[in-house]
Amino acid sequence: MRRIKNPPVSRYHPTNTPSPPPPSVTPAQNTHSFGSSNSARERKWRHNSEVTLLPAARQSARISLVCVDVFCGSGFRRMLKMPGAALQCSGYPEDKLQTLTERLTCREVQTGTLLSLMGEPEQYSYPSVFVYGHRATGKSHVLLTLLTHLQLPHAAVSCVECVSAGLMFEQVLSALFGPDAASLLPRCPSLSDFVRIYRQACVQHPAQQTRYIVVEKAELLRDMEANLLPALLRLQELVDDNVTVFLLSEIVWEKFRPNTGCFEPLLLHFPDYTKAELLHILSRDSHPSHTPEFYSSYINILLGVFYSVCRDLRELRHLAALNFSKFCEPLEKGEARESDTHKLWRNMEPHLKKAMQSVYLREVSSVQWEQQQVDEKEATSLRGLSAHTHVELPYYSKFLLIAAYLASYNPARTDRRFFLKHHGKMKKTNFLKKHEKTSNHLLGPKPFPLDRLLAIFYSVVDSRVAPTASVFSQISSLVTLQLLTQVGHDDQLDSPKYKCAVSLDFILAISRTVSFDIVRYLYDFL
Amino acid sequence: TPRHATPSIPSRIQPARKPGNVLEEARARLHVSSVPESLPCREQEFQDIYNFVESKIMDGTGGCMYISGVPGTGKTATVHEVIRSLQHAAEQEEIPPFHFIEINGMKMTDPHQAYVQILQKLTDQKATPDHAAALLEKRFSTPAPKKETTVLLVDELDLLWTRKQNVMYNIFDWPTRRHARLVVLTIANTMDLPERIMINRVASRLGLTRMSFQPYTFKQLQQIITSRLNRVKAFEEDALQLVSRKVAALSGDARRCLDICRRATEICEHAGQKGAIGLVGMSHVMEALDEMFSSSYVTAIRCASLQEQLFLRAVIAEFRRLGLEEATFQQVFVQHQALCRVEGLQPVSVSESLAVCQRLGACRLLLLEPSRLDLLLRVRLNLSQDDVLYALKAD
Repeated sequence: MRRIKNPPVSRYHPTNTPSPPPPSVTPAQNTHSFGSSNSARERKWRHNSEVTLLPAARQSARISLVCVDVFCGSGFRRMLKMPGAALQCSGYPEDKLQTLTERLTCREVQTGTLLSLMGEPEQYSYPSVFVYGHRATGKSHVLLTLLTHLQLPHAAVSCVECVSAGLMFEQVLSALFGPDAASLLPRCPSLSDFVRIYRQACVQHPAQQTRYIVVEKAELLRDMEANLLPALLRLQELVDDNVTVFLLSEIVWEKFRPNTGCFEPLLLHFPDYTKAELLHILSRDSHPSHTPEFYSSYINILLGVFYSVCRDLRELRHLAALNFSKFCEPLEKGEARESDTHKLWRNMEPHLKKAMQSVYLREVSSVQWEQQQVDEKEATSLRGLSAHTHVELPYYSKFLLIAAYLASYNPARTDRRFFLKHHGKMKKTNFLKKHEKTSNHLLGPKPFPLDRLLAIFYSVVDSRVAPTASVFSQISSLVTLQLLTQVGHDDQLDSPKYKCAVSLDFILAISRTVSFDIVRYLYDFL
Repeated sequence: TPRHATPSIPSRIQPARKPGNVLEEARARLHVSSVPESLPCREQEFQDIYNFVESKIMDGTGGCMYISGVPGTGKTATVHEVIRSLQHAAEQEEIPPFHFIEINGMKMTDPHQAYVQILQKLTDQKATPDHAAALLEKRFSTPAPKKETTVLLVDELDLLWTRKQNVMYNIFDWPTRRHARLVVLTIANTMDLPERIMINRVASRLGLTRMSFQPYTFKQLQQIITSRLNRVKAFEEDALQLVSRKVAALSGDARRCLDICRRATEICEHAGQKGAIGLVGMSHVMEALDEMFSSSYVTAIRCASLQEQLFLRAVIAEFRRLGLEEATFQQVFVQHQALCRVEGLQPVSVSESLAVCQRLGACRLLLLEPSRLDLLLRVRLNLSQDDVLYALKAD
């Protein structure tokens, strides 16, 4: 397994000479020594059998790559260390690299590593790279910006869109070779069809540059056919073309590895943005009518409130855009100036705290939130989504639901004492098992049979109810409304089991409408 | 493309080379696919089958016979030999002429393809399975003057099993028709196949004409090799005896025996200097036996990396602690780290240890659950603990 560690930014060696291969790398092992040959252009990766060579770009790129064999004996972990710097890589125009550096702020290290892995456009790159990191750490942004800006041939597919492998093959072929190649695919293409047509297209359009395939949300690949992921990892070998597959995912590689083994990709981690980096990135989209310092002080306040609960860049950017007008309010009213930071903060902080409880949890939609700010209504005067728990039910359905709740949260042994008139004396503790004594509301609802539900139902309802078809159909419609759930679908007619799936607040509201004191009947609240 | 093309394969540019020395000739004679002049040690079985088929042909009736035996005991070869001599007899006009067709369950994608193949071999017609079944039914149940007896050989019978068993039923039912004149010889590996998988009406139609081929004893194996070699002097007597004794002790499979002999000639040829090629001796045979019989697991463990060996030791330590033959990765990982400390190595991280574990799982030393369970995936050994300990201790 090879893993690329992000190099420390402080170490910078402007050397043009390649670093000699470290002594720990032996050709007999499954090792790859980097940066030791000038004629790497002609060579291909030969996996597992001989020493392979990364393109010569390493040497001229002022990047010294050092392989450190950390793992004694088995050559497992290989680290790629290089001093971070502004992007420099031969084979690409300088000005484009310059604009790339400006665009991809706070991701210089990762971009540099990616660039050095890709090498010069016509050189062979590593067959597959696995890029992982949390959501909104710029994985696809960095990669796609890099590929589009440097105008490299690439195909970007998302596994969410490609519900079948055939769709993915079609997208890849049409992006790399044009729609003609994709139209050659049969109706339900298998992997071998894809490889065959790729090779055909390859002959017609031989590779001038490395082709890249970017697969986003790669964790869904595991649920597709079992041979798809191993084949993508060694696609370079299968199609015999200069192609590199990037797999992008939020989960680690260990959860991907098939049980039959596969070609191990290079692992590249995108770490989370630090608070300073978030501040830097968010401050970039400042409002034109205000100074950048003003906007960055706003972001500082926003991060002060939200950083402890949310580090997602996209979420934070959305919140920043939503609440900025409120921040500017004192300026427009003339109550404060841009430099009165403390005043602005005092105005803003309670507002942001309210935003955390409402708009961040999507209780109130963004449009409603903006409307509220414009109308200058009291924030969260609206009822949120979760307040709408009131459901209109028929009379007996309410009692059925109450009975189901009692059956789910009370131990069956206590039924005698709650629902029988002459049950004799019983104390609370001495007749229950240990697990029944702990709160049932913490452990969640327990399944109960239909007989018990009906028995409790008849004892709870005061009037005489005939067990008509309508009572039973009400039970099954409570199941379709997802207020009850059926447990174990093995037997539909004979002794089905149910669970109650409503919360305590909900059932309290329901029992209030039929003036039934449910708390008196709950074992947990005795 | 022509409609009725006969399939062919491209012929060689040069003719196949004649064997140059004794060992090459021995190798050609010992090849499994080379047909021997006679089948030694199966004279009794040959006679039984011959008498059965001959009597049915002479009487113009039909019948079934079930032949069983472990692989490599000469079932198919004997039946083919019987048919060859019967055809020879028919040419000499000692018995009436007959028609021989052969199907193999392993060569069919679907059991119902049997109808199609039988019909095609009988009449050169092509039809869908249903249509072919109807045509065959009609052919076997209607009387026709001057109809020849048909001998049908069904190899790998167990693969013709379907849920309703209608393919087997039909094949065994046709011989019972008055006008069918069909003799069915069926071959399978297990002796109790009719009782195990067939429903009663199928098993009763198969009848009680059974024959089982016993595995070869070492004397028989030795005789088979000697008769194959047919006075080509390439082996020492003791070497032949060793091969046949070893194989007879294990399975009694003649094919295995021939394979080992051929490998031994290769080893002998490789070891001897050019020009002077000696006989195949005990040492060559021992080497060939080692290659074919020894388990590769022990070698795999010996050649594994240090961390992989440590992981295996951790697995065994955890099994000892739990008293079970199964542990979660998390439990093994704790042991692995402890072992690393004991050995004075850098403690491994979870992902490294998991990579080690999955590498061992990929070469089937361990049995693992899917990797997405990571810490909770359960680990089992695919070989006995003693084997692992032996492999780890050897060096």
